[in-house]
Amino acid sequence: MTLLHFQLLSAAIFCIGLYGVLARRSAVLVLMSIELMLNAVNLQLVAFGAFSGFGTSTGQVIAVFVITIAAAEVGLALAIVMRLFRSRGGVNMDEIDVMRG
Amino acid sequence: MEQAWLIPVFGFGAFAFLALFRKYLPGQGKHLSVLAIIAAFVAVWPVLFDMLDKGVGEHHFPRDWFSAGPLEVGWGIIVDPLTIVMLALITFVSVIVQVYSLGYMRHGNADDPRVGWYFAVHSLFSASMLMLVLADNLLLLYVAWELVGLCSYLLIGFWFERRSAAEAAKKAFVTTRIGDVGLLIGVVLLIVEFGTVDVIEIMNSLGDPGVNQAVVTASAFLVFFGAMGKSAQFPLHVWLPDAMEGPTPVSALIHAATMVTAGVFLVARLFPLFDAVESAQLAIAAIGIVTALMGAAMALVMTDLKRILAYSTMSHLGFMMLALGAGGYTAAIFHLLMHGVAKAMLFLSAGSIMHAAHDETDIRKMGGLRKRMPVTSAAFTVGALALAGIPPLNAFWSKDEILLAVAGGLNPVFVVLFLVAIVLSALYMGRAVLVVFFGKLKPENDGVHESPRIMAWPLALLAVLAVVTGFIALPIGYEGIGTFLVAPGDKPHAFEVVPVWLVASVVLALGGLALAYALYGDEDTSRVDALRERFARAHDVVANRFYMDHAYQWTIDRVVLRVSAFLALFDRKVVNDVGVNGPGLSAVEAGRRLRYHVTGLFADYGLGIVVGVAILGALLWIRSVTG
Amino acid sequence: MSFAERHILEWLIYLPMLTAVVLVALPAAWRLAARWVGVGSGALLMIGSAWVFIAFDYSAGADTFQMIKVYTWLESVGIDFRLGVDGIAAPMVLLTGIVALTGSVIAANVDRDAKNYYILLFVLIAGVYGTFVSIDLFFFFFFYELAIVPMFLLIAVWGSSSTFADFARTKEYGALKLVLMIVAASVLVWIGIIAIYVWVDIGTFDILRLRDAVQDGGLSSGAQKTLFPLVMVGFGLLAGLWPFHTWSPDGHVAAPTSVSMLHAGVLMKLGAFGIIRVGMTLLPEGMEAWALVLFILGTVNVVYGAVSAMAQTDLKYVVGYSSVSHMGYVIMGIATLNSIGLTGATLQMFSHGIMTALFFAVVGAIYERAHTRDTLILNGLASKMGWTTAFFVIAGLTSLGLPGLSGFIAEVLVFIGAFHEQPILGALGILGAALTAVYILRLVARVFFGQRDPQWDDLPDLTPREIAAAGALVVPLVLVGIWPAPFLDVIRHGVDALPGVDALVGGLL
Repeated sequence: MTLLHFQLLSAAIFCIGLYGVLARRSAVLVLMSIELMLNAVNLQLVAFGAFSGFGTSTGQVIAVFVITIAAAEVGLALAIVMRLFRSRGGVNMDEIDVMRG
Repeated sequence: MEQAWLIPVFGFGAFAFLALFRKYLPGQGKHLSVLAIIAAFVAVWPVLFDMLDKGVGEHHFPRDWFSAGPLEVGWGIIVDPLTIVMLALITFVSVIVQVYSLGYMRHGNADDPRVGWYFAVHSLFSASMLMLVLADNLLLLYVAWELVGLCSYLLIGFWFERRSAAEAAKKAFVTTRIGDVGLLIGVVLLIVEFGTVDVIEIMNSLGDPGVNQAVVTASAFLVFFGAMGKSAQFPLHVWLPDAMEGPTPVSALIHAATMVTAGVFLVARLFPLFDAVESAQLAIAAIGIVTALMGAAMALVMTDLKRILAYSTMSHLGFMMLALGAGGYTAAIFHLLMHGVAKAMLFLSAGSIMHAAHDETDIRKMGGLRKRMPVTSAAFTVGALALAGIPPLNAFWSKDEILLAVAGGLNPVFVVLFLVAIVLSALYMGRAVLVVFFGKLKPENDGVHESPRIMAWPLALLAVLAVVTGFIALPIGYEGIGTFLVAPGDKPHAFEVVPVWLVASVVLALGGLALAYALYGDEDTSRVDALRERFARAHDVVANRFYMDHAYQWTIDRVVLRVSAFLALFDRKVVNDVGVNGPGLSAVEAGRRLRYHVTGLFADYGLGIVVGVAILGALLWIRSVTG
Repeated sequence: MSFAERHILEWLIYLPMLTAVVLVALPAAWRLAARWVGVGSGALLMIGSAWVFIAFDYSAGADTFQMIKVYTWLESVGIDFRLGVDGIAAPMVLLTGIVALTGSVIAANVDRDAKNYYILLFVLIAGVYGTFVSIDLFFFFFFYELAIVPMFLLIAVWGSSSTFADFARTKEYGALKLVLMIVAASVLVWIGIIAIYVWVDIGTFDILRLRDAVQDGGLSSGAQKTLFPLVMVGFGLLAGLWPFHTWSPDGHVAAPTSVSMLHAGVLMKLGAFGIIRVGMTLLPEGMEAWALVLFILGTVNVVYGAVSAMAQTDLKYVVGYSSVSHMGYVIMGIATLNSIGLTGATLQMFSHGIMTALFFAVVGAIYERAHTRDTLILNGLASKMGWTTAFFVIAGLTSLGLPGLSGFIAEVLVFIGAFHEQPILGALGILGAALTAVYILRLVARVFFGQRDPQWDDLPDLTPREIAAAGALVVPLVLVGIWPAPFLDVIRHGVDALPGVDALVGGLL
């Protein structure tokens, strides 16, 4: 297992997440895709931290930060999704364009 | 003499007091104003005697007023014979007019509702004029000059509820103000060129080496332009006849002592300036004679009594300017004094008629008033004969002086034209007297009666003066007025008689009167009508005041107002809509177009982020590759 | 220095701010209390300002800047709260005091939300005082901006819209245009100020030290010439400099009476004052290079403003354009760069401030009663509205330069200064004064004189409160007109110390 394997796995997960964010219509799936992307980054951070050889745990610590923030973000985002569902009867992202110019 | 500055202070004080407190004073404080002007009149005499005591000449008493940078402006005074005679004339006529006004501004048993204001402005008017003749520097002179203009505005527009009065007041102020533009430019030019405002200093250094003579010439013309406005010289005379809209005593004051004499005085005060610029002198003489002839011609055809008098004033102001142009300083000022006395009397007589005849001014509706108003008609006749130049009345002497000056100093053409003007003067004055006071009394004037004593006495006093004042020209106690009233730098000249001119002027004046009698001597108007028919076109031109008013009106309506309307439109359409709203609207428009790029769709934003990151990554990669 | 001399200037700024705070604390329903606080504070400001003017020592050896007070603020950058007045600021402080008092008295006529109106008005006044007395560039600019911001709300909320035959000007438009244009211009000023700070590079915003450094060659002539246009246009816009003047008529017309008084009376002077304080003091060579341009623009202002005023049919627009015309004299006077012209310019700032405040007070009073300002409809007001007419005529006569009133002294000094430099432009300026007579007198004849239409029969004259306010404005006009010496002495003290001014030593020749 080398750093490259982690890199490739992380990149694959990130791309899947990116595809999901851009292509899915359901807000829940978009959120899940964002989680995928975040976790891909986490994987990177932890892998770099482990392989850097400096003996520090900076990567791991930051990954913990990201997880924390991601949890908060998901909480917020799901609340928004709930409100959207209640007010619009659906969570199709293509129908949500209140910011249109 | 140092205390001569107090003379105008009475009037200014009365104005300030009346302006603030007239509502709380009995009779709105009108008597206070009369007292103030009497005090000023009394105060003139010690000044005269002091000067006779200390030596006739120019006495200068400077005083500080303010300074800015290196410019020192004072409110000092000059006391010289010119000042003294002007002071005497102004205070005297003002006293007469104010006393007369006490009666004139009373209708039945009630004063005019704004009588206090009337007298307050009267005081200010006299005081400003007194300040004008005392001023020792150009700025103070200009200050007084403008205040005189203001007072004429306020008094002409005294009955401002009448649209015509409001318009006449505006016309007088604006027209004289146009002249003042010239005056102020001239004054400022002189101040900048000589570095001082002091009149005496400037007049003494006119010929100094290093003085730019072009500036001196320009300022002579410009200053004269100011004098033309105030002294109603062609082509700035149009305000004078309209100024009749004010109460009649105001006309007497304006025509005799203040306002119109200011221009003549100014030219006299700055006489060395004009003396130094020959072309300006010639221009003054030319404008003077043109004004004199035009005024006389119009006086001849007008049917409104006050307008006849107004144009007569214009004509006589032309005489004064002509005399000044001819270098006849003494003659001009002398005529100013004599004309002042006579014209005050004529206007007050006209006022007396109007007071009795319900403000009627059309001479065709008058006639035979001699029997009903003996004092008035006697006074008017004396004044008219004086201005017609009949000896021994006062204006005869001064007119004779002018004739001598013109004959001595100018081209014969001027002399001939002046003689024509003398005939015309006698003719229109004769016409006015004959038509108004002689002939049959019209039935509608049956109730007319002599004016109250407070108005009749001033008339009688003036009539006596009109007979006697002329004799100051003669060598009585001195060698004639020419030795007292001398232009700065000139030699005094004794009284002299040149028989040929004396005879010519008397014969022409009498001829004019005879002609008037021949035309207007009886009720039969057919002779006059025939003449009018014969010269219908010329009559039209003159009766329409040479279309000057039309020309001005046209200029204002078609040029000035159009230009200003255009500029206002330019300001709104170009400067504002294009220059200011333009950038604003382009920003709005840009935003309006750019907004379509914002879809509000999450996927689009996401794609934007991805593309952006991709581009950034690509750039970084290229940099790392190229090194 | 006495205790008062040390603290008076800062209190002229604190007091209006404090007034605003006190007003915020007042319950909105206490309308009368708000008025009294406003008027009382105005009176205190007037007393303080008069004290500053009287206590200013103009004797030959006295310091240029007096009553200096310094609080260190950001030492590392060189920004201090630094106050002081010179002979040019002192009359401006007095002007602000007079207009603040009369403005707050007239503002008592405001019915809607008087409390908030007064709050904004006093923030504005604080800004004005701050600008006039700051001798630190940073605070100078800070207060300058502070004075502008409340304008927007004051005009947009309390203003009035006007409709004409073929176009309309809403109050929102007036407010927006006024604030946007001034703020845009102040960006130029700010660039200029920062550039001066950086290029002189002595680490301070202190105007006096910057001035000395510039005099010792701390700023190259090229840099000065580059920076001056920024300052000229930036401040000039607020002074109504052509062709950046259109905010002024529209803004003043839309503004409520007391705001017009303050804005045309005092704020426009901030612009001209800025040209002197920043342009002349810190960029003398730039000033000299651009003087002719400024001179020409000033002359255009005079004539253009007067001719435009002639075509207006709305009383306030006439006054608005007349302000543009009169500020032209100030600009001309500054551009003469000689002691007489600058003295005239400074006196004209004072004189025009008072005069135009009087104008707007009277026109506002007419509008409140007749609900129109159309000069084609109004007529014959004089016989019923004696006081109104008297005050309008006095303001009008001042404006057309009648001797005996302050405008004449100021204008004639500007003319003499101008003739010394550019006789042709000076002559055009005098022509402008004659045009002023035309439009003012036409207006007076049309609106106040003549037959009165029956619909105006019941218009009441000014209330005693308004008469008191207008009378308080007439006093300085007459005083300066008759006895200008005290004012000119103070101004001379300031003008003589300005860099790059031709003192015309040895007479005018």
